[in-house]
Amino acid sequence: MIQNAWLIPLLPLIGFLILGLGNKFLTKSLSGIIASGTVLGSFIIAVTIFLGFLSGENKATTINLFDWINSGTLHISFSFLIDQLSMLMVLIITGVGFLIHVYSIGYMSHDEGFTRFFAYLNLFVFSMLLLVLGSNYVIMFIGWEGVGLCSYLLIGFWFKNQDYNDAAKKAFIMNRIGDLGFLLGIFLIYMTFGSVNYAEVFEGAKGFASGDSVLVVITLLLFIGAMGKSAQIPLYTWLPDAMAGPTPVSALIHAATMVTAGIYMIARSNVLYTLAPITQTIVLFVGLFTAFVAATIGLFQNDIKKVLAYSTVSQLGYMFVALGVGGYSSAMFHLTTHAFFKALLFLGAGSVIHAMSGEQDIRKMGGLKKYLPITYITFLLGTLAISGVPPFAGFFSKDEILALTIGPFSNIIFIVLSFTSVLTAIYMFRVFFLTFHSTFRGTEEQKHHLHESPATITIPLVILAILSTVGGFLGMPRIMSEHHFLSQYLAPIFEFSDLKSEAKAPSEFAEYTIIIVAVVVLALIVLWAMNRYIKKASVPPADDKQTPALRNLIYNKYYIDELYDAIIVAPINWFGKQFNNIIEIQMIDGFVNSIGKTVIWGGKTLRLVQTGAIGFYIFVMVAGIIAILLYNFIR
Amino acid sequence: MKAIIILSALGLATMFVGVYNFKKALLPMILLGLLAVIGINTMEWNTNIHYYNDMLYFDNWAVSFTNLILAVSILVFLLSGQYFKKNTDHLEDNYSIIIFTIIGAILMVSYSNLAMLFIGIETLSISLYILAGSKKTSLASNEASLKYFLMGSFATGFLLFGIVLLYGASGTFHLHGIKDYVIENHASLPTIFYVGILLMMVGLAFKISIVPFHFWTADVYEGSPTLITAFMATVVKIAGFAAFLRLFFTCFSSITEHFVPILCILAVLTMFLGNITAVYQNNFKRMLAFSSISHAGYMLLAIIALKESSFIAILLYTAAYSVATITAFAVLLMIKAAHQENDSIDTFNGLAKRSPFMAFTLTIAMLSLAGIPITGGFFAKYYLFANTISAGYTWLVVLAVFNSAIGVYYYFKVIIAAYFKEGSEEKLSIFPAYQLVLIITAIATLLLGILPGLITEMM
Amino acid sequence: MTDQITHIAKTIPIEHYIYLSAILFSIGVLGVLIRRNAIIIFMSIELMLNAATLLLTAFSTYRSDAAGQVFVFFIMVVAAAEVAVGLAIIVMIFRNIKSIDINLLNKLKW
Repeated sequence: MIQNAWLIPLLPLIGFLILGLGNKFLTKSLSGIIASGTVLGSFIIAVTIFLGFLSGENKATTINLFDWINSGTLHISFSFLIDQLSMLMVLIITGVGFLIHVYSIGYMSHDEGFTRFFAYLNLFVFSMLLLVLGSNYVIMFIGWEGVGLCSYLLIGFWFKNQDYNDAAKKAFIMNRIGDLGFLLGIFLIYMTFGSVNYAEVFEGAKGFASGDSVLVVITLLLFIGAMGKSAQIPLYTWLPDAMAGPTPVSALIHAATMVTAGIYMIARSNVLYTLAPITQTIVLFVGLFTAFVAATIGLFQNDIKKVLAYSTVSQLGYMFVALGVGGYSSAMFHLTTHAFFKALLFLGAGSVIHAMSGEQDIRKMGGLKKYLPITYITFLLGTLAISGVPPFAGFFSKDEILALTIGPFSNIIFIVLSFTSVLTAIYMFRVFFLTFHSTFRGTEEQKHHLHESPATITIPLVILAILSTVGGFLGMPRIMSEHHFLSQYLAPIFEFSDLKSEAKAPSEFAEYTIIIVAVVVLALIVLWAMNRYIKKASVPPADDKQTPALRNLIYNKYYIDELYDAIIVAPINWFGKQFNNIIEIQMIDGFVNSIGKTVIWGGKTLRLVQTGAIGFYIFVMVAGIIAILLYNFIR
Repeated sequence: MKAIIILSALGLATMFVGVYNFKKALLPMILLGLLAVIGINTMEWNTNIHYYNDMLYFDNWAVSFTNLILAVSILVFLLSGQYFKKNTDHLEDNYSIIIFTIIGAILMVSYSNLAMLFIGIETLSISLYILAGSKKTSLASNEASLKYFLMGSFATGFLLFGIVLLYGASGTFHLHGIKDYVIENHASLPTIFYVGILLMMVGLAFKISIVPFHFWTADVYEGSPTLITAFMATVVKIAGFAAFLRLFFTCFSSITEHFVPILCILAVLTMFLGNITAVYQNNFKRMLAFSSISHAGYMLLAIIALKESSFIAILLYTAAYSVATITAFAVLLMIKAAHQENDSIDTFNGLAKRSPFMAFTLTIAMLSLAGIPITGGFFAKYYLFANTISAGYTWLVVLAVFNSAIGVYYYFKVIIAAYFKEGSEEKLSIFPAYQLVLIITAIATLLLGILPGLITEMM
Repeated sequence: MTDQITHIAKTIPIEHYIYLSAILFSIGVLGVLIRRNAIIIFMSIELMLNAATLLLTAFSTYRSDAAGQVFVFFIMVVAAAEVAVGLAIIVMIFRNIKSIDINLLNKLKW
């Protein structure tokens, strides 16, 4: 079976070709079936191979399709590396991808670009599979560019809106900045190791001393690529804007798969990163800063998809923190659970938006529990999972990362990251309560229109909800189970790094403490949020006036409200605003935009040099010749 | 070599067939002739024959560049059938001059003696001066022709003076003779020899539009008849770079320190000026002109690297670039044939609705020019940059990669116009010959990207 | 007889030929730079070509190598072709705008 792994990317490619060429002739239902069917086919093949790995019957295999480039010293083969890591990614991509395809059949049913949408979606799945299956960096780069292109096409899918086009362009250009780093990294890898194949590169890297400057530069360049693709500071602002695309796109590309490509790349290159501790520290702090800043911004967003987008940025930051401390399998674990619950949340949000006829502002929602029961329950499960409530998926994966951060840098990372978890719970429950509880705040017309979504939408939600609930058992902490399934499964990939890093497992006491504190804090947050958004039916004001604290809860409520408002909410509010205004809008956007502006200004100015007068042209030519001759004589 | 003789006969025959009013038979005859020449030329593969006292030398590079030139010319001729339909008065003249241009280009890729280089360049240039002005009543065409002619012959003056100085120092016009001279007198080369190298460099840099000798490019591309622009943008680039590399690789590769620093500066200037100026162009032909300048900047890196593998790099790059450029011009010609609109990028608005096929091929071409995988443009860039890095010019490649990011901006402008903008709703029909060209170029672009081994392994 | 000419030619040092040609060439370049009349510019370009031709002949004589003088014939043929085409282009321009001042030709720009 493993020899047939090349079918996995081929099927979606065939789907894309059929849909792309037969755009005119296919009915909507047929194109939906073709698109989902090809991804399902890939998923089934992937499962059989995966089972083979579990039973120990499959070994990591390279499937050589053809020699792509073979000239002089440059040998690049078009081949796939089938191992534990790539199969895990393939399962996520095809599995979650299939559910989202099914969901899209319902979600996009009224759209005129239905077939085009599925063609792009299949092309995306193909490129993403190419990215994770490639056995060398060049194939990975091709997939990398491919997913970027699909992301661009899909963000701008509703192209009649100029803002959406701008968002698409922003995403593409920011990603290109990251890609520059990646490409240079590949060149440097080729120069250093004489090959771009993973096997040879990692084998060669093991001969380098830890901290060798070449490795540091390579890993930093690759990390720049990862920052673009996985939306880390300073290249993250495209992701919230990318929410302009249809919601299934946000779920598939901007939550579950494409944005995790950076994580995958670093996990794949773990040998290089383990040998470059400086880069690891940088990865760690970029991830930490991103996780925190994005979470604070998420607190005050009123667009349901924007909140989820910032949450995605924040969770990606978590994964980078895990990579930074050498917990590669923990990062992959969180990537997996995050794919489940974030896809679920986005699809749930999509279901809400669908019911609300396109409304995305949570201030205009409320009380949807009654109208959308299935969406309500599944969204609740997703919220619990992302907030880290035991025993949902996010709890295990997040606590595993938290446990890893105890110790280094005198626990600062642990503290900030824990605090970020608190913020995560706050903004998620805020969104949850504002959307589903209290009374409906929209217009009468919208209210009239409210309905539960069709089965094609709710069934994927239910399946993802189940996965978000049980996904955490892939990796139970030591105190609960001797058997950490995922890290054992991935062990062969990270063998070298696990040997090198002296990351000590946290003490049992620490693990218990984390769990207990987490549960208590989460309970408090839920109570606070219920008080604020259900009892008091507080709605975020259009402007930013702080509502006076009210009292009415179990005990000491006044104290708690005051405490939250004064000590946490107000400063965070301030921080969130500052981060949003100063860092995001002025510094980061400003910086990125100013490059673009400089180029456009340069274009405007430089073209005036082309005066149209032959005399001037010849004058410049002669001046050039004289300069060249002079240069040669003075030298 | 036989290619040149047969093509000359074909060129003469074309002129006479015109006289006897067989205009219908003209194009099929030329196409068959060109195909036959490709076949005959391919038979010289691996023969490495020196012709006429080593005036011409058909090594594998010459054969493959010749085939590339012929293949691109076939595409241009396929486009010409419809293009000249309205104006058949001077059809045979146009055709035969194009054929003579091809002969000049072939001389430029196969010379082994500076005299042949000079004859080749002049045959190519003089023919192009005429072709650029072939729309006799159009002021733009007149202006393009005069500008090209005055600046071109001015640059020829420098090239010629350079040749004379090289001859004065070394006493020979043969490439291998000059090479031997350089090796023997490595330490004590006279000043006139250096000046000769630099002046030849200037003359050749003009042909491939390297800043600051690039000014003609945009104006001439814009003013010339679109089909001729397509021909100029592709065949002249191929021949110019092949000639440049052939001369410098054969003769001067042991004294790189005298011209490589200058070439580095010129390459940087060319890349930046080409890309940045292209950003603000609204005229599609001008945009392609500046894009061709920027591509010249990238290709100059292969000459800076000056290795055997630079030939592959140039071959791949010119192939990918020419194929994509032909696509772009074919789509532009097709739209103009239907509407007589201007050359502005807005012409492409809503193309995806009007003709999804053309929009698709245009997208592939733009992606290839921007260097996005899995197109030929990506692989060619990758190969070129890797080649330059292995020669030790990493900083140049960093700048080049940065520049190709700027390039994405303006190539995507075209894709955005085609897919994301509202334009005329009227469906576009497409001539069969154009469809054929677009299919060939799209497949070639993808093949070059997916299986570049086809070319690299052959070499 | 021919030996005599060669001998006389060689009484002048080669550097002088180089200087003369360089000066002629520079005059040509200068003419192209400062004149506005297309015909005069064209004549200046011809002067540049002739400077090269002169130098080529001198080198050829000094080295007693015929190749250089054969090359001169090539240059003459090419220059003749260039004149034919160039004058035709200038005539075409004159027909359309009734002038051959190159400053009037700046419609293609930016």
